[in-house]
Amino acid sequence: MFGIFNFLRRTPHSKYRKSNKPLASQENPSLSNKLSANLHYLHQLFNLTPDLVIRQVHSDQGATYAALVYLDGMVDKASIHNNILRELAYKTPDEISVGSIHKASDWRQVEDAIFQGNSVLFVDGQPEATVYGTQGWPQRAVEQSPVEASLRGAHQGFVETGSQNVAMIRRYIPNRELKIKELTVGRRGRTKISILYLADVARPEILQELETRIRKVDIDAIMNTGELAELIEDNPFSPFPQLILTERPDTAASHILQGRYIVVVDKSPTVMAAPAHFFTFLTSVDDHNSRWMIASFTRILRFVALFISLFLPALYIALISFNYEVIPVQLILSIAETRSRVPFPPILEAMLMEITIEMMREAGIRLPSPIGQTIGIVGGIVIGQAAVQAGIVSNIMVVVVATTAIASFLMPNYDMGAAIRLLRFPMMLLASMFGIVGIVTGAIALVAHLVSLESFGMPYGSPLAPWRFAEMKDMFIRVPIWAMLKRPKSTGATQTVRQKNHRGDEDS
Amino acid sequence: MKKDAQNGITFMQYIFIIHGSQVGTGVFSLPRILADKAGTDGWISLFLGWGLSVIASILIVLIFRKYPNDTLPELMIRLFGKIVGKILILPVIFYFAFFVWTILTSAMLFIKQWFLPMTPDYVVMFLLIAPGYLVASRSLRILGRYCELVFYMMILMFFLFLFPLGDSHWVHLLPIMKEGWLPIFHGVFSAIYSFLGFEIVFFIYPYLQKRSLAIRGVIIANTLTLLFYLEVTLICFAFFSPDGITEYNQPVFNLLKVIDFNFLERIDMLFLALYLFELSTAWLPFTFGAIFSLGFLFGTKNPARYASLLFLLIVVLSFFLHPSWNQNDQWIIFSGQAGLWFAYVFPAILYLYVLIYNRLRRSESL
Repeated sequence: MFGIFNFLRRTPHSKYRKSNKPLASQENPSLSNKLSANLHYLHQLFNLTPDLVIRQVHSDQGATYAALVYLDGMVDKASIHNNILRELAYKTPDEISVGSIHKASDWRQVEDAIFQGNSVLFVDGQPEATVYGTQGWPQRAVEQSPVEASLRGAHQGFVETGSQNVAMIRRYIPNRELKIKELTVGRRGRTKISILYLADVARPEILQELETRIRKVDIDAIMNTGELAELIEDNPFSPFPQLILTERPDTAASHILQGRYIVVVDKSPTVMAAPAHFFTFLTSVDDHNSRWMIASFTRILRFVALFISLFLPALYIALISFNYEVIPVQLILSIAETRSRVPFPPILEAMLMEITIEMMREAGIRLPSPIGQTIGIVGGIVIGQAAVQAGIVSNIMVVVVATTAIASFLMPNYDMGAAIRLLRFPMMLLASMFGIVGIVTGAIALVAHLVSLESFGMPYGSPLAPWRFAEMKDMFIRVPIWAMLKRPKSTGATQTVRQKNHRGDEDS
Repeated sequence: MKKDAQNGITFMQYIFIIHGSQVGTGVFSLPRILADKAGTDGWISLFLGWGLSVIASILIVLIFRKYPNDTLPELMIRLFGKIVGKILILPVIFYFAFFVWTILTSAMLFIKQWFLPMTPDYVVMFLLIAPGYLVASRSLRILGRYCELVFYMMILMFFLFLFPLGDSHWVHLLPIMKEGWLPIFHGVFSAIYSFLGFEIVFFIYPYLQKRSLAIRGVIIANTLTLLFYLEVTLICFAFFSPDGITEYNQPVFNLLKVIDFNFLERIDMLFLALYLFELSTAWLPFTFGAIFSLGFLFGTKNPARYASLLFLLIVVLSFFLHPSWNQNDQWIIFSGQAGLWFAYVFPAILYLYVLIYNRLRRSESL
């Protein structure tokens, strides 16, 4: 879209890509069969690493001894004390009662293993080390995500451990077609990325594209899923989110069942789904959980809210300052009355109020909840009565801003809600410069942009652009679940049938 | 050149691109022009115009049946050789670009007259063009999706015209054919101008995914256009008196002005503003035609570059020319006449040529 901004993209010559790593990690020597040599090298590798524990073990024979190495705090101490150290006295390293045991023969593997919370056992006289899966870092309990609360959906949210997140999704789809592809991103961060998909449903081209894009990322570390999403999304200069970020296992599982790919990023409680479509951002889990009429009503309500939160302030500005002949006389009289004391032009009035309410909203997010309530009260007074009485804004403006704010709270997805909130401002500017024509051109630009956006080769505007009647069963209204016999085509699903028609009277 | 399936358009998109490019600003004054030429029988001229344009568009499809992977520029080169073919593309580019210019200037004049009388021409022009760039700089597929979506969005517009039905007097239409066929034939020329736009088939046919449906598609598209024109014309004829209608320049607006809800007045203004959507589907296909031919002429296929070039040219031109209504009328007449040749006569000649050419080729090879 904005080709001129291409220079902002990273070029392959950017400077932090050059590796200036220490010598040891560039070459990859194999282990020595002398324990003392190994320990010496270990000390070289991990100097100034006080949390590295090297426990030397003397066995009964006395002659040979071993060393167990792990990072304190990254391991499950109970398993190290009770299983490994105790049993080493009378068992060989391979007999230890730990679930995952494998061998490492070079230093790269050893290093990786230690950093991932494994414990590594070096035995004198053997040119390889035994790696025990003893991971046990500080973890949060599974609880509901505060951003994506639901009425009746599951109250589980993802946690910061990738493997647990994968397990939570797998519980919904215990099927052997659920495949997991693992990648690693980040030279320093070495973040494990798992791509989950149904092999017989999801379209393989998308996986290929997703994989190439993730593999291309060459960065020192990623902290969150949002960062990865920004690195791999199709159009970085679009206001719309192009990957679905969610913290809910049930949402993730339903995306997989629709033929999408779920990318689980280790260390982040958010997973992302691709390919994304505009309208998936307007759906919530509860839509499929409540009865279809109620769900349809909420859907329509959400679309109305979308329009209100995009266009209402702009429309107010356009009608007041340009096209007042559109408003009926009675209404224009009462508006004129309330506006008679306001010294500002409509755009300034609207901007003032919108910015205030956006600030309130932003302030409320990170404040501890007792203070957060105060913000609400203070804001209510500022936005409401006081501003009108002071003659800064008109009553109608307060109504407009409040309605807009309420409408924008209806967006079930935070990213999309934020995009809509942001787009409101250019709309207001256009309206203040060109009136209704400005709003319509803004709308045309939005439609044109939505139509031309693509997410991993799949049209972003689907099922509106390209128009697919069959898929509108789950858009403006949600038809009963038994009538949705097919998976959405928009995700490129190769296996289209989702259920058999068990009611009989509906044709597919 | 291989027309990859990725870039193809569906049958519906094909219909809506054609339909969209036919419906532009012409419809506002169409009832008046028809009434001028053919009296209250003008709506019969629409049927004749529809018939002619269907024939012409079917001819175009038939030409390309023989060369299913060619667009117009490729066909020109195939038939007339590289140099003559490229020279023949030049007027085609000019035709499409001029159509874009005409539609945009008349849209700009409408906007200036109704909404923004003080705003400079080039600013309004820029406002119109900027959103279109997002579509024009991309492939045909995007244009197809856009036209399709806009058609469905604008369906409500079709129903808006039904509101004045209550105040209409159908007696105005009677007696049918009161002055015989002659005035109706006079009206046909005005009618076929308003069906111009189907010549975009020259460019989009090879991208159609199911080419066997191409003829059905052009008929449906033309019929959709006919229905819309017919509705507007008939309701205007029934609403205004036979003499009164010729006094309004754009009777459609005067018609819409009558509608008012108690929460909204002046529907005509809202309508015109929203009609910009419909207008964008009129000039964007023409832009595609121009850009595609330009790209063909110069060998590189980056639509974004040509789109920005064309649009920049239009904005700059409107800055220097300050188009007026009279000039715009002249341009419309000129482009209409050019369209008459390009969209109606040219396909017939080309079809004959292709027939003869094939026969000669075959006898040569024998």
